[in-house]
Amino acid sequence: MSAVATPARQASGGVNVKLVNRIVIYGLLALFALFYLMPLFVMLVTSFKTMDEIQNGNMLALPKAPTFDPWLKAWGETCVGLTCAGIKGYFWNSIKMVVPAVLISTMLGALNGYVLTKWRFRGATLVFGLMLFACFIPFQSVLLPMATILGSVGRFGVTLQNSIGTSFGLGNSTVNLVFVHVVYGIGFTTLFFRNYYEAFPTELVKAAQVDGASFFQIFRRIMLPNSMPIFVVTVIYQFTNIWNDFLFASAYAGTGDSMPMTVALNNVVNTSTGVVEYNVNMAAAMIAALPTLLVYVLAGRYFVRGLMAGAVKG
Amino acid sequence: MAFLEIDGLRKRFGQVEILKGIDVELEKGGFLVLVGPSGCGKSTLLNTIAGLETITSGEIRVDGRAINDLHPSKRDIAMVFQSYALYPNMTVAGNISFGMEMRGVPADERQKAIDKVAKVLQIGHLLKRKPSQLSGGQRQRVAMGRALVRDPKLFLFDEPLSNLDAKLRVDMRIEIKRLHATTGTTIVYVTHDQIEAMTLATKIAVMRDGEVQQFGTPAEIYNNPANIFVADFMGSPAMNLIPATIGGNGSGLAVVLQREAREPISLPMANAPAGLSAFQGKPIIFGVRPEALTDPEGAERNASHIATADCHIEVVEPAGSDTFAVTNLGGKGVVARLRADANIQPGTSTPLAFNLTKAVFFDPATENRIR
Repeated sequence: MSAVATPARQASGGVNVKLVNRIVIYGLLALFALFYLMPLFVMLVTSFKTMDEIQNGNMLALPKAPTFDPWLKAWGETCVGLTCAGIKGYFWNSIKMVVPAVLISTMLGALNGYVLTKWRFRGATLVFGLMLFACFIPFQSVLLPMATILGSVGRFGVTLQNSIGTSFGLGNSTVNLVFVHVVYGIGFTTLFFRNYYEAFPTELVKAAQVDGASFFQIFRRIMLPNSMPIFVVTVIYQFTNIWNDFLFASAYAGTGDSMPMTVALNNVVNTSTGVVEYNVNMAAAMIAALPTLLVYVLAGRYFVRGLMAGAVKG
Repeated sequence: MAFLEIDGLRKRFGQVEILKGIDVELEKGGFLVLVGPSGCGKSTLLNTIAGLETITSGEIRVDGRAINDLHPSKRDIAMVFQSYALYPNMTVAGNISFGMEMRGVPADERQKAIDKVAKVLQIGHLLKRKPSQLSGGQRQRVAMGRALVRDPKLFLFDEPLSNLDAKLRVDMRIEIKRLHATTGTTIVYVTHDQIEAMTLATKIAVMRDGEVQQFGTPAEIYNNPANIFVADFMGSPAMNLIPATIGGNGSGLAVVLQREAREPISLPMANAPAGLSAFQGKPIIFGVRPEALTDPEGAERNASHIATADCHIEVVEPAGSDTFAVTNLGGKGVVARLRADANIQPGTSTPLAFNLTKAVFFDPATENRIR
């Protein structure tokens, strides 16, 4: 009897241990998730509260009378430094800077990856190694040299302005930031695209060569249409990084009308006059965070797998 | 003057010479198969003809025109790749017409050409599909369609059947042969499968280590191999290469084969090649194909010179159409090919007929044929 019962008991004991393990694991995960989401929750509820409610109520309580006023104020009226026209102008500054920077760095990365894998030249590995090295250079170490370079470029822009009437945007803070982010981003985008194209069937390129396609025709008609997954990954990565960047933005466009969102947000929060409007600050921070979220949601939809299915072999 | 001529072609990667002076030529409408084991340089040779690899020295001429410095698209060639290399983002029609699009052929002409090729290859119903929606055989057809539509001077095939399963491979092989027969195109075809080489080719170049070992018609390659490598590589089952010595009496030479625990077999040679007399008393390699070593009833009636000897059968392999028997001669397993219904038992002795008209002899030192 006991000889029969023992394995059964062991088995049920095994199930219990498994269950306890599960509960512990999921319990911990839930706790961490809660801990992680708490600040976001506080930000979100605070941004819909009135100042009275914030000063007299519980930080974690839901708003009694939700109001969009803080959001509207953050967008259109709040003071950034001395000008009180909201953050909308700076939001567009960021868009104007991020979109070209992301597109240019991604396209250059794709082109680099294409050349480094499909048109290997003598020393290609070394070049790739150096570009990879660029990923490890700390931001701080390029601040001063880059400032010097941007200064010279700016002076050249002024010279152009005086002699031929246009500076071609040289010296403009937005253009400067685009330039800095493109230069800094190439290392990463090249890494992404090279690794993706390394596994890209070279026979497709050879077939296109025999078909008479030129270097750029192959890139545009064969490589790019089959690069959707890595394109999306790179765009998400670059967009998040550049949009969230504060160091370069504050160093090269830290004052005036061309400062990006991150710098403006900092100025909103650090305003030293009057009452600290927590609800407006929180709303401004949420607005600053929304685009990256949007990029994840929109681009994620195109993050399809199996795009290469059917290209080669069976 | 031949249609395709390759003269002294050399290809070097750094210090390593991949192709060591290739000389091959092919008549118009011919079917040249480059065959050899992995790493023999056959695919590199094809890529140099296509222009996808540069050459170090030598010349490649098509129809009298040197093409070795031209861009691949200017060589008037079309290539079918091992992996098919269909553009995954384009439909079948788009894949077939991509080359014409690149050359600026007007849309209505492109459509006409697509329809014509689709009809030949019976892929009309697939034109709107993407490559991922096709089976292996269909992809193969589309890949051939992409080559056919160019109507090039020269077709290049790089192991086109190696990704197909066994049955489909035989079907597609026949299809390629039919295509060649009906369109009369000139084809250079790379494979490591000697059966594909034998069945498809009008000319075969057997390659090893960047050198052409032998260049000739399938029959020449099969019946008159230039050296041990070619003899061993071509044919399935492979040719029996038996260590032997040349003995002789007053009237003529004889091939002496050692046997385990029995007296050697001596096969008298009536029409030995002239070079063989120099090897009297010396070791040679005696080559005889399995079909030239058979039961006396099954031996070729019109073979002029047949010698029969008792052999101890170790293994019998009934293969359906034939029965293969393995015996031991000269310290090696030797395969004989008998009729399917041959009454033969392993562990017994039975007379086997050596068709000496088909036998070949090699010098073990140089591995070259003794003629």
